[in-house]
Amino acid sequence: MKKIVSALLLLSLCLGAAAQSRRISGKVTAKDNDSPIPGVSVKTTGKAIGVQTDAQGNFSIEVPEGVTSLEFTYIGYQKITLPISGQTVNAKLESTTSGLNEVVVVGYGTQTKKEFTGAAARISGTLVKDAPVQSFDQALSGRAAGVSIASPNGVLNNPPVIRIRGVNSISLSSYPLVVIDGIPVSTGNISTSTSVPNNPLSDIDPADIESIDVLKDAASTSIYGSRAAAGVLLITTKRGKEGKAKVVYDAWGSLTKAARLPKLLDATGYMKYKNEAVYNAKILGGNENNTSVAAELFFPDYNADGSLVNTNWYDYIYRTAYSQNHNISVSGGNKTTNYYLSANYSNQQGFVVDNEFKRKSLRFNVDHEVTKWLKFRAGGAYNTTFNQSQNTGSLPNSTFLLIGAARLATALAPNVSVYNADGSYNLSSTGTLGMGNNLVTNTLWNAKALFDLSSYTTENDRFQGNVGGTIKLPYHFELNTTYAMDRLRTENNTWLSSQLGSSGYSVGGSATNVSALRNNWDWASTLSFNNKYRKHHVTALFGYDVQKFETTTWGAYATVAADNFFTNYEGSYSTVAASGNGRSEKAFISYFSRVTYDFNNKYFLTANFRRDGNSALGVNSKFGNFGGVSAGWLVSEEGFYKRLNISHIVDNVKLRASWGRVGNGNVSNDYASQSLYSSSLYGSAATWYLSQAGNPDLAWETSKQTNLGLDLGLLNNRIQVEGTWFNNDVNGLILSAPQSASKGIPDNAILMNVGSMYNRGWELGLTASVIRKENFSWDASFNYTHIKNEVTALASGNSDIIGYTHTSSEASNVTRVGYSVGSLYGAKTDGVNPANGRRIFINKAGEKVQYSATVASGESNWTYLDGTTAAAISASDYYLLGNALPKWYGGLSNTFRYKNLDLGINITYAGGNYVMNGTKGTLRDQRFYNNYTDISKRWTTVGQVTDIPRLVYNDQISNGSSYPISANVEKGDFVRLQSLTLGYRVPSKVFGTSGITSARVYASGNNLLLLTGYTGTDPESSSNGNSNTTPGIEKNAVGQGRTFTVGINVGF
Amino acid sequence: MKKIYLYIGLGALLGFSSCSEKDLLDTVPSTSISDANAFGSATRILGLVNGAYDAVKAASLYGGRYLLYCDVRGEEFINVTANSYTAYESWNNSYNSGSNDINNLWSQAYTAINDANIIIAGLATSTGVISDTLNAQYTAEARYIRALCYFSLVTVYATPYNADQGASKGLPLRLQAETNGDNNDLARSSVAEVYAQILADLDAAEANLPDSYSSDLLNTTRAHKSTAIALKTRVYLTMNNFAKVVEEAAKIVPQTTAPFSTTSYGVKHALQSDITTLFGTTYTTTESIFSMPMTSTDSYSGQSAIGYIYNANSEYYLNPSGILGNAQWGTNDKRRSLLRVASNLYYLKKYAKASPYVDYIPVIRYSEVLLNYAEAAAQTGDLTLAANLLKAVHARSDASYTFADADVATAAALVATIAVERRIELLGEGFRSGDLLRNLQTIPAKGSSSLQANAVEPSASNYIFPAPNNELTTNKLY
Repeated sequence: MKKIVSALLLLSLCLGAAAQSRRISGKVTAKDNDSPIPGVSVKTTGKAIGVQTDAQGNFSIEVPEGVTSLEFTYIGYQKITLPISGQTVNAKLESTTSGLNEVVVVGYGTQTKKEFTGAAARISGTLVKDAPVQSFDQALSGRAAGVSIASPNGVLNNPPVIRIRGVNSISLSSYPLVVIDGIPVSTGNISTSTSVPNNPLSDIDPADIESIDVLKDAASTSIYGSRAAAGVLLITTKRGKEGKAKVVYDAWGSLTKAARLPKLLDATGYMKYKNEAVYNAKILGGNENNTSVAAELFFPDYNADGSLVNTNWYDYIYRTAYSQNHNISVSGGNKTTNYYLSANYSNQQGFVVDNEFKRKSLRFNVDHEVTKWLKFRAGGAYNTTFNQSQNTGSLPNSTFLLIGAARLATALAPNVSVYNADGSYNLSSTGTLGMGNNLVTNTLWNAKALFDLSSYTTENDRFQGNVGGTIKLPYHFELNTTYAMDRLRTENNTWLSSQLGSSGYSVGGSATNVSALRNNWDWASTLSFNNKYRKHHVTALFGYDVQKFETTTWGAYATVAADNFFTNYEGSYSTVAASGNGRSEKAFISYFSRVTYDFNNKYFLTANFRRDGNSALGVNSKFGNFGGVSAGWLVSEEGFYKRLNISHIVDNVKLRASWGRVGNGNVSNDYASQSLYSSSLYGSAATWYLSQAGNPDLAWETSKQTNLGLDLGLLNNRIQVEGTWFNNDVNGLILSAPQSASKGIPDNAILMNVGSMYNRGWELGLTASVIRKENFSWDASFNYTHIKNEVTALASGNSDIIGYTHTSSEASNVTRVGYSVGSLYGAKTDGVNPANGRRIFINKAGEKVQYSATVASGESNWTYLDGTTAAAISASDYYLLGNALPKWYGGLSNTFRYKNLDLGINITYAGGNYVMNGTKGTLRDQRFYNNYTDISKRWTTVGQVTDIPRLVYNDQISNGSSYPISANVEKGDFVRLQSLTLGYRVPSKVFGTSGITSARVYASGNNLLLLTGYTGTDPESSSNGNSNTTPGIEKNAVGQGRTFTVGINVGF
Repeated sequence: MKKIYLYIGLGALLGFSSCSEKDLLDTVPSTSISDANAFGSATRILGLVNGAYDAVKAASLYGGRYLLYCDVRGEEFINVTANSYTAYESWNNSYNSGSNDINNLWSQAYTAINDANIIIAGLATSTGVISDTLNAQYTAEARYIRALCYFSLVTVYATPYNADQGASKGLPLRLQAETNGDNNDLARSSVAEVYAQILADLDAAEANLPDSYSSDLLNTTRAHKSTAIALKTRVYLTMNNFAKVVEEAAKIVPQTTAPFSTTSYGVKHALQSDITTLFGTTYTTTESIFSMPMTSTDSYSGQSAIGYIYNANSEYYLNPSGILGNAQWGTNDKRRSLLRVASNLYYLKKYAKASPYVDYIPVIRYSEVLLNYAEAAAQTGDLTLAANLLKAVHARSDASYTFADADVATAAALVATIAVERRIELLGEGFRSGDLLRNLQTIPAKGSSSLQANAVEPSASNYIFPAPNNELTTNKLY
């Protein structure tokens, strides 16, 4: 390293000897953290004399006479020009967020922002490394235009709901393709339990991430052909940089609490309103004078000291959670060899009792230039992650489970105790919560006993590695090859005690272990060409990529524990059966190419082509061809533009246009196209049965995407504007096409290519250096996305696709032609009849019918308002109740710096959608469930106008417990203060000779404030996780927590 | 030299593609077989037949819950949990098209029907793998399964046959194997047409089913000739075709006085001396004509197991004003030992095994055939035979009981007494609401101090189950 510097110095000396000159020296540091930047190009303005800074950021340059300023340029930083005054010129470089020379990572290569003609966004790793999250994807909210990220619930390590430019499929995943250092990896939830989630992206230590590039339009994603219909996230991990070894230590600790919990009735209120409901039922049933029908069923319990038992179940289900995260990295290198090494330890608690996440990881990356024409690179990461959670009812397919913690927290009776006087759990004879003096049977569990007597864990053990090389060939060709492996073993363990009070009591206790191995390898090779002939710049890329996923799962389910001592599968049980067995493989083979051409740095053209083979598709259509073209015109480089007055204000103008066709064949089932028979048991006899009706013609979904964009740079690029219009027509949608149940097809569905839809909208990104002074700066970035989704065709005569939340009685969403995917669905209501307090429904004929849960014998529960018998409201009366997909969303982030202080404010917002506040149905449930305090607004007197019907015991329909009703549909618009961070950079003089070069301490808060008219816990909640067809449902799920963090970043 | 580099580069690039595309892309699952091979061996064909039985054994069908729905609709049980996942909606007759039970039951019965249709279609074309005799037997078993499922559906989802001699709309009658996306739309056949198909299937089944199998287990869990005949007595009884009930019953109940037993066919069906042995001890006696086998590796638990709902979790107790208090059910009646008492409430313990819930679920018992026969005999004027049959069933569990003359003197009295006997003998085996519906009787009101269910008149829309959404939304001709 030093040799090079001296060689350069020598060179400059030689040049300097030819003219009158002087020597200028100085130091280049990064503006944000004062750390020295090596390798910065320092040039004299207007003259081709230049040097580079050394490892300490120092430079020394011989400057010819007449030169009055120096230019400093470095990739990733804004170029600055400083006047020469005196012998020393120190420069502080500011990192660019969207400078034209910024590198954009595109598939199988990089381009500069200037050359790039598609639509992409880059998110720096520094934005995710300090966030109190489990996986980096959770920290991207509001960071980029067109990218919507929502947390479906507050359980640790849930995969967030990510949508890049909307929902682009119906039955397939709308999760983007995630590529880490070149290898596409598994996403979603790989846990086999509906209690504890396991997002495999949490295996990546967020601090190892250098950058996240989001590819949004077809022209950018089509290099990934069929795998990229939902966009692509390209993750680049950190690598060493030439220079002295840099050591960085980052740590944070945090505290999380539940936010926005509903206010519940206490014991007195509970008994009051429940008994009111019991009495109303007695009267309405015509039993006012019938002594065999109770007038009250709820009675108080007293503690030993005579006080009323008044249990707040929140105390046993929620907690203040503490978390910590430590990260250390060492990186550096010389001219030929660079390295990066890091270690991470994370130990996080969730605010629901028992919810934990732990990660230990190690990563190394190394680059070596073997010879001038051969480069070698390798990397590897090993980690273990551990997830533990009780069932919260928040994950998909757990909404109505009796063990769901979120519902237990609100529904359990407050007038009974957690423990008996002798310290044992208060339980009924079947193990549910004992109801004390209440005369009703309870089906819900004693949360404390349930939690103590069960555990659900899922643990990953993973190695990801890659090795590759680059050979420089003659004629500007370069050959690149990378082999990557990703071996992920997951162990899912569930234990339910045999003791009374456990949900496993009825089976004598149970333990389930399921082990899964996901083996994934990828070999990608490219031959590229890059050359300039005068004003012509041509690059070309040809490649071949083959990837294979093999998944094996096996396990066992044991019941009837020999003794309640056993708390795991390895104990002694009398019955053991196989559980969770599976074996599948999937392969992709792809040929691709990209050609770019630009003329005179003004006109840019890119064309992509990819031919993909996918093993999961039908025998008749395994291969598909995809591609895109894009063009850009840097108007501001044109002479005519430079002559315009406006060019002094708008100094950069670029027009972009692209069109592309990408596919989607990401069926989750590796054998989706095949008709299959599976084997099981009939008693002890072996069976075969039709387990899947296939479709040999199953082919790709295809998206035709058009993208038109305008990029502006104003006031010396201090303000940058990016506007993009996009239209994505998706055809041949793969649908789990519903089949008439009477056909007896497994799951009543067959995957078919039917249906089409579009996503259309525009994005606006604004980045501004509002104030840039020596001691004070304000940078702001704002993004806005407007999107419209509409389904234009569906299977078999456009019949609706009904989406269900957990069970088939909860038909909560409908996908209907002419509306957006997964619109809210349910019975339409029209308030409460002031005359009698009954809920009014609107039937399919548009008539008003009212409901009373209890009526006297011979009367009908359902009547018209005049009292005549009406047909019951059923699913055939359901209406589409509103769009569930946000129509607009985005973020606003501000960074203020004053001397050594920095303040970051990140705000996210979304709206234009409706949310089914199904939890409201639970909070008003008229069984023995506790209610929220708003229940006091129930109807009581003739003429009263209210939205809460008369309380009738066991009424499960009027408030939306049995099926969704429009009374619970609310607007989902919100603005969230996602994070607020205050940091202080310790002045470097403090460190003396300690070896510390920089240090920053910070405090931050996440989810501090939510402005919304939505009355549920969180408008971003999603009981169905990432599902395309059932979005916008909040039902019995835990909301997001509020987190306070303090942290430190130290550099050596 | 430079050219060599280039050639090496291109060669290496192309070399990678030598991985066979076919090997990589034509993946074949190793845990299931493709449709092309399903009928490939004798073992697999037998597996398909067992698979169709297993579909009948699904939790929502004869794995137990179908019995639960049909029982709790009637007046014998009182619900305590108001939980719609354990048949509360059946108990208070408040089902709607979206209800889980309504959708799951329909879907599961039709799955079994399609499995049967696949076997029937596959065996019609497959030759050489199994003998013609076996081919005919398997086809007969499939038709028996299809008949059982259609009968199970038509009696709950369609207007009772006796209301209008089957003129009402019944069910979509699916008789061909469905394995692709065609044929979603199919209009309902009339109730009469559905019954005609059921009887055609059972007649054909009777012709080709074996007299018996090699073991008691197989005799109980797979259909033989008597199984088809026994089911026919139930079907004809539901149609009030008493002459045919007598005709069919006589084939397997040839005697006119006790003891009654089957003589003509391989399996000598007869009442066991102690009814309690059928529940919990010996599931494969000659009294159990057709039952669903349960083993520790193939059984249901939790809300899928009726043993859990009735017994372990005590969600239904016996209505004190139902059959429990009837004088015909004497205190010494052995059948009372199939109940247990807790806090003065009686719970059914016909399915009493704790986890794993391996009690077999009875579908057809010989005592039911005797009672079917008795009712038909009474209705057709053979009062002596009717009384003999009735007494045989009753005396087996309570030998000391003597029927009052008034209870057996006339045809009408006998029919009423037999109806009571059915409620005692077949309690918890899925008969009560079916018996109410076939006689077009009102479903009585019932309740406790906290939960009440109103009576349901035959004219009420909830007298039968509503059609499920999973059919309504896709079958435009329904």
